[in-house]
Amino acid sequence: MSTVEAEKPTYVYGLVKADAVIPDGLTGLGPSGRVSTISHGRVAAIVSDVPVDRPLGVRGDLVAHEAVLDTVAARGAVVPMRFPAVVEEHAVVDELLAPNEDHFATLLDSLDGRAQFTLTGRYEQDAVLREVLLGDDEIRALREKVRELPEDASYYDRTRLGELVVRALEQRREVDGAGIIDRLEPFAVATVANQLAAPDDVVNAAFLVERGRQEEFENAVEGVGEELAGRVRLRLLGPVAPYDFIPEE
Amino acid sequence: MSVATQRSGGGGGGYVERAPGGGSSSLADVVELILDKGLVIDVFVRVSLVGIEILTIDARVVVASVDTYLRFAEATNRLDLYEKGGKDLPGLVQGITEGGAKGKTSGVLEAAAEKVNDMLASNREQQEVRRRPARQRARENEE
Repeated sequence: MSTVEAEKPTYVYGLVKADAVIPDGLTGLGPSGRVSTISHGRVAAIVSDVPVDRPLGVRGDLVAHEAVLDTVAARGAVVPMRFPAVVEEHAVVDELLAPNEDHFATLLDSLDGRAQFTLTGRYEQDAVLREVLLGDDEIRALREKVRELPEDASYYDRTRLGELVVRALEQRREVDGAGIIDRLEPFAVATVANQLAAPDDVVNAAFLVERGRQEEFENAVEGVGEELAGRVRLRLLGPVAPYDFIPEE
Repeated sequence: MSVATQRSGGGGGGYVERAPGGGSSSLADVVELILDKGLVIDVFVRVSLVGIEILTIDARVVVASVDTYLRFAEATNRLDLYEKGGKDLPGLVQGITEGGAKGKTSGVLEAAAEKVNDMLASNREQQEVRRRPARQRARENEE
């Protein structure tokens, strides 16, 4: 028992079907840089070695995790692991793949031929602030007051003005964001609305899209972008791995 | 007129900025995409058995603060509401966009992204990073 050899730690990026072809040229986060697969039955894990001389979780590790998964996702179904996933080498089969083969195979089947797109949108700031000002007497009056006061005398009013503007933006984006998602939902198999960070963020949603309908979806996004031009700037990330569509265990 | 959607590379023609995944994404994109997302299996909880130290990454950046309010107040003050002799609203909106005016508060998000960058670059300095907004506020008050 005391003679057990130190096991080789293994990083697991995600899962694919055993017959999936992993693209060449992937760079792992380990010292070798190599990425390979370990398969068992119908499923396989995308793995690499792990840096052992430093803690895991620096910028390059995150970027490598994403790059491997999204490059694989561009070609076929992949189940992303939550960053960071490290196990002993033997456990990849013994504890990960073997006990969960059916579950993973089912999950991969459900993702087959589908990819995630993440849409974010931000207000064109001056345009939306103008709307807010013209639509709210209190905000307009407070702005006039602040403009007449010297800066050091207006701290409270400026804070209040900013707070009212932020609230107004948050109300506005609820309607605008839902409108955008409503327009695109019909082109997706599933949709997840993520939390928004900044007050002028309008939308942050993930869409799981059939590859056969990818062009249709992209054209729909482009159509919404054209309609909102000058008011909201949209950004579409993808196709990426289905990070937002992995059921909680 | 049909506008071709950019299939890769982003930027260029269309109305929507495109960013393909797979190694060409920005760090901010990566963080938002992968953090706290993906499959979790019991076996990974026993990471400590493997003897690998894992940095904890807490990149949730909260921007709703006095700092945010002041930035938006400033952006609102800066607006020239009745420029060009009182156009109607859609006209004004259009005019502003065509002028390519870029908002001051975009700095908020850039600051946030920087913060994330800092955190990821040197995770051990998380506390330092968390303290920073307080110092920024203090500086602003002095001005």
